[in-house]
Amino acid sequence: MGSTLLEALNVRVEGSGQKVLVLAHGFGTDQSVWQRILSSFTPYYRVILYDLVCAGSVNPDYFDFRRYTTLDAYVDDLLTILDTLGVDRCAYVGHSVSAMIGILASIRRPELFTKLILVGASPRFLNDRDYHGGFERGEIETVLSAMEANYAAWVSGFAPLSVGADVPDAVREFSRTLFNMRPDISLFVCRTIFNSDLRGVLGLVKAPCCIIQTAKDASVPASVATYLKDHLGGRNTIEELLTDGHLPHLSAPTLFAAKLRRALSR
Amino acid sequence: MPTPVSVARQCLTPEAAHALDEAVGVARRRGHGQTTSLHAVSALLSLPSSTLREACARARNSAYSPRLQFKALDLCLSVSLDRVASTQLSDDPPVSNSLMAAIKRSQANQRRQPENFHLYHQIPNQSSISCVKVELQHLILSILDDPVVSRVFGEAGFRSSEIKLAMVRPLPQLLRYSRSRGPPLFLCNLSEYSDRGPAPARRSFAFPFSGFPGFCGGDENCRRIGEVMNRNKGRNPLLVGVCAYSALQSFTEATEKRKDSVLPVELSGLNVICIENDVSEFVTENSDKGSVCLRFGEVGSMLQQSLGPGLVVNFGDLKAFVSDEASGEAVSHVVDQLTKLLELHAGKVWLIGAAASYESYLKFVNKFPSIEKDWDLQLLPITSLRPPSMAESYPRSSLMDSFVPFGGFFSTPSDLKVPFSSSYRCIPRCHQCNEKCEQEVIDVSKEGFTASIADQSKSSLPSWLQMTELGTNKGLDMKTKDDGVVLGAKVTGVQKKWDNICHRLHQTQQFPEANTFPTLLGFQIVEDKKENTDNHSSHNTDASSSETNCVNVDSSTSMDVQKIATLQSGGPFTVVSKAKNESLLSKQWEKPSKGEDLESGGLNSPRSLSNSSVGDGSGTSPTSATSVTTDLGLGICSSPTSDKPKKSINKNLVELSHEFSGCLSADVDLVNGNISNRLTQSSSCSSPDYGGQFGPREFKTLFRALTQRVGWQDEAICVISQTIACCRTRSEKRHGASLRADIWFNFIGPDRFGKKKIALALAEILHGSREHFICMDLSSQDEMIYSNSIFDCQEMNGYDVKFRGKTLVDYLAGELSKKPWSVVFLENVDKADVPAQNLLSQAIRTGKLSDSHGREISINNAMFVTTSTFSKGKNLRTFGRESSNYSEERILGAKGWPMQIRIGHAFGDNTKSQNISVSDTMRKDISSPTFFNKRKLIGGNESPGQPEISDMAKRAHMTSTRHLDLNLPAEEIEVRDTDDGNSDNNSISNNSKAWLQDFFDQVDKTVVFKPFDFDALADILLKEIKKSFHKIVGSDCSLDIDSKVMDQLLSAACISDRNRVVEDWVERVLSRAFAEVPKRYSLTAHSIVKLSTFEELAPGVCLPPRIILN
Repeated sequence: MGSTLLEALNVRVEGSGQKVLVLAHGFGTDQSVWQRILSSFTPYYRVILYDLVCAGSVNPDYFDFRRYTTLDAYVDDLLTILDTLGVDRCAYVGHSVSAMIGILASIRRPELFTKLILVGASPRFLNDRDYHGGFERGEIETVLSAMEANYAAWVSGFAPLSVGADVPDAVREFSRTLFNMRPDISLFVCRTIFNSDLRGVLGLVKAPCCIIQTAKDASVPASVATYLKDHLGGRNTIEELLTDGHLPHLSAPTLFAAKLRRALSR
Repeated sequence: MPTPVSVARQCLTPEAAHALDEAVGVARRRGHGQTTSLHAVSALLSLPSSTLREACARARNSAYSPRLQFKALDLCLSVSLDRVASTQLSDDPPVSNSLMAAIKRSQANQRRQPENFHLYHQIPNQSSISCVKVELQHLILSILDDPVVSRVFGEAGFRSSEIKLAMVRPLPQLLRYSRSRGPPLFLCNLSEYSDRGPAPARRSFAFPFSGFPGFCGGDENCRRIGEVMNRNKGRNPLLVGVCAYSALQSFTEATEKRKDSVLPVELSGLNVICIENDVSEFVTENSDKGSVCLRFGEVGSMLQQSLGPGLVVNFGDLKAFVSDEASGEAVSHVVDQLTKLLELHAGKVWLIGAAASYESYLKFVNKFPSIEKDWDLQLLPITSLRPPSMAESYPRSSLMDSFVPFGGFFSTPSDLKVPFSSSYRCIPRCHQCNEKCEQEVIDVSKEGFTASIADQSKSSLPSWLQMTELGTNKGLDMKTKDDGVVLGAKVTGVQKKWDNICHRLHQTQQFPEANTFPTLLGFQIVEDKKENTDNHSSHNTDASSSETNCVNVDSSTSMDVQKIATLQSGGPFTVVSKAKNESLLSKQWEKPSKGEDLESGGLNSPRSLSNSSVGDGSGTSPTSATSVTTDLGLGICSSPTSDKPKKSINKNLVELSHEFSGCLSADVDLVNGNISNRLTQSSSCSSPDYGGQFGPREFKTLFRALTQRVGWQDEAICVISQTIACCRTRSEKRHGASLRADIWFNFIGPDRFGKKKIALALAEILHGSREHFICMDLSSQDEMIYSNSIFDCQEMNGYDVKFRGKTLVDYLAGELSKKPWSVVFLENVDKADVPAQNLLSQAIRTGKLSDSHGREISINNAMFVTTSTFSKGKNLRTFGRESSNYSEERILGAKGWPMQIRIGHAFGDNTKSQNISVSDTMRKDISSPTFFNKRKLIGGNESPGQPEISDMAKRAHMTSTRHLDLNLPAEEIEVRDTDDGNSDNNSISNNSKAWLQDFFDQVDKTVVFKPFDFDALADILLKEIKKSFHKIVGSDCSLDIDSKVMDQLLSAACISDRNRVVEDWVERVLSRAFAEVPKRYSLTAHSIVKLSTFEELAPGVCLPPRIILN
């Protein structure tokens, strides 16, 4: 099962080094999103790259609408990959939804993860009584219905918003990967993400976490980073990235790589 | 038995009959005995408005360019047609059985169509088959069913099923993902997929994850709970998460409803008992102990009676146990009871509960430290709110509607290409040419394919020559490149040729809009060029180098002629020499313009002219490329000569431009004249000639121009000029056979200003303008944001904006591909990160850059200048430092603070004697307290030998001593020391040192810079200020200049390109401020006028336009 999974999710292992680094992409992208920073890490790490099952680069038939109803199924995938590759310890870099997956994975298998680097992470996107996640339920419904109505239009609006910074290259790249996702899958994953709420379980994370937060992120308000830092169970730090947008690894790769390097070496 | 054509025609509508006629015509021309489906396809494709062609365009595989795929189709079709045996017939070839069967199939099909049903049944008396007239569309559909036809399409990469689909559906292709698996499986058949379970056919590939346990009606949470309960250890789940409680509820509901699918088989028949309400009542209201005991007793008896696997005790939300209202005694009673229950009925009883957050669980554990073990708890994170119900989670069918715009979006690129490609590829030939071609094919095939390539070519030669003459004006010369492919396949070759002829002669007029697609044209050029290299790779070694498009176009036109020549003689191509020659030529175009720019500074130079016409030539190449080149040559060589008298240029330059014009005119001749003969000649003679020009004279010019800019580094400049002159002469350097003109310098030593200025000057002198200067600071990649000293700001302006979102490689590659003739200035190469190191190593070794998209860019014409302070063996940083008052680091770190003038009073005589001072040591005594504090702070940083390092360095320093991150909890500090970070950093720095050595060894020349004499400059500036001060204020008072002000002034003087910029500033700004001073203050002999920085305002420019007085 493991090897088919590796194949299905396009798992790649790059670089040489003792330590293992997992780079997990977020919603709307695929592993190519790490391409711009990959070469900074391959000399020192064995870097494991994979695609989430919802990514456009994965055969859409693998996406089982009954299985991927919660993030746990994604966690299963991640853990299966790591087990198949015989990884017993690794540092994990997760962006957006993969940050959530990483949190859950490290709860389930605390010994496996030496460190979590969470990029653009949020335990909960919806606002609550004393929590500001950035979105109201009504807004989400609007977004989702916009996606349903016209995916192309939605992508072309969402990509620049998400990238934030004025980097046409990055917007193009993000639009591309976003567009590669089959719209129904994309919608379904969105629902899964918005239905997820990790706030109660953050305390179960014991691995040290580094939260990389950009100055202005359309999806994740700054207060969320603080919330994560306060509630995650391990030793946590926040790294401010002086750039805009939800995808710093795409819009400011050099800056991001430097930060990541620092975060990893601590 | 073949059917006569006339009979077959009866079954067809006029439109379809016309198509059949065409097919018969094809068969007749080929001398075939029967008209088959293949002939029909060939005819259908070449019809003026062909539905089949359109359908192909829509159904084609997007992985290939439409042009390629249609070409492939054309080839496959003609190859299979060639296989058909030819016979001599007097009459029309009759319709073959297979084609007739197709016609009958479509008849039957059409009859079944509901809309036609009545029509055909109302006229039963006409029973013959001819009553149903087959429409063209149906005919095509059934022809596509013919296995021979679908094989041909399959060979060309089409699927006939897709083509059929495209024919049936007028919309641009939708649903392209699932295409490869037959009819689109999408949302519509999703439900059937889930209802009936995976179809056996799809089972094989459906799911790589089948090893995971079965699904439970979409409720992942329940499944996980069941999983936990089925374990031996940690079998009592405690759900944690904001939505844990609702998950708990849905689990109990599901179990009560006996949805057995929810739980593993071993647990089916499980009962759930909820004691939540009893517990919470008891705990909060502290009601009677008896009622709870009763309840527990009930539970116990239930357990004893139960037959199934056991009982789940749901104690509800943990919040009841830990809330403030709960009485501790009651809670512990409940806990004890539950623990007992577990002990008594081990294996038959489960506990389940929920906690909204980990924190409340922690509280609970604090109260009952051993609870985790006693209850054998397993924490189960629940993260998804209300597992979405099936109806909600499955994508709605309304999404289907959205695919019309969606499909429209996708098809835009192909829409763009389709008309273009179809106009070129799909109407193979016009009638006239077609016939000629067929004739020739027949000729060739009758010879039994024995004709050699040369013979074929020869036979076609006259028409070819004709073609080229005509064709140069038509501008579709690239098309002739198709001919290259031809050499392989014999008959198709002839056909192709006729294709091209036909395109040239007839279809260019028919499709003039092709010219309005410049991008597509550009693409074609490139592609053709590739074809060239493929075909003639043995000859053409240098094709991938970055000559401008102009060169490409040009060489492609000349290719025609050359090809003819080579076809005749059979000798090797001279593509290489030609290409080289072209690049030399274009290089020479650059030269005179440089000369122009240098002295005039104006931009009337021929450079722009040449550029624009090059652009014309490459972009919209349809007009004769040869004539473009000629124009270029003339334009350029005339302008230097005409400009010459106007300017008083120094002699060298005149000579230079003379030489260039001479050289150019030769080249112009060459282009105009008899190309094939002159080519080899000139390429052999012009390059040594050219190299000769970069002799001592070039060196002198360069040297002089450089020293004008940067007067103080004459030794370095000497070395640089020599190297450039030298490198230009020997065109073949260490790189063996490949001609490389890139030059690599490494500037080491101090004087960052000087290095940059020289590099900038090189760009201006060699390449004409600042535009050709690409500057990057490799160390600033990490800390780009933080540096805000004047020096950095100056280069960051616009720089980081350009840089955002790109890696170094991509930025550099992008710039270099835009302007290949550039000076690339890479500062702090010793601080380069790993990707940059790899990039540089590759570039210096191979002469190519490959960006992150894998595109290769030649750096043949670029000059690379790297700078570092690091050097072999000795540390140049300390070189000559001791004697200087002003260190380079300090000047570099200077910030553009606003300046202010204050008045102080001196008590004592010491100031009298020396009435202008730069107070570095004295200022603590004189300054006002507020300033004192600040300075002290800075003074702390000024460790003796290392005065005020730049911010960047400071930051690095701080982080290395680990005081900066307030984010970190205190205990982290020790951990960080022991953590793996250190070893990592060390290995990195070691690694890069080795790399640096290696890199430096490969550089063409390492140039050592002397430190800049800041003292001398400071003296000059001070003198100037003093003069102004004495003139305006008088010599009574003394002037005290803060050392930071001095730093700023020096920094400004160094950065600026002009001389005397600070002097001007003193004249304009400072003296005005001085003039204000006596008006505002009463100055005595003891007064000290203090010029200092004003750090309460934000830093701006280093020479502020106004000085603050107060």
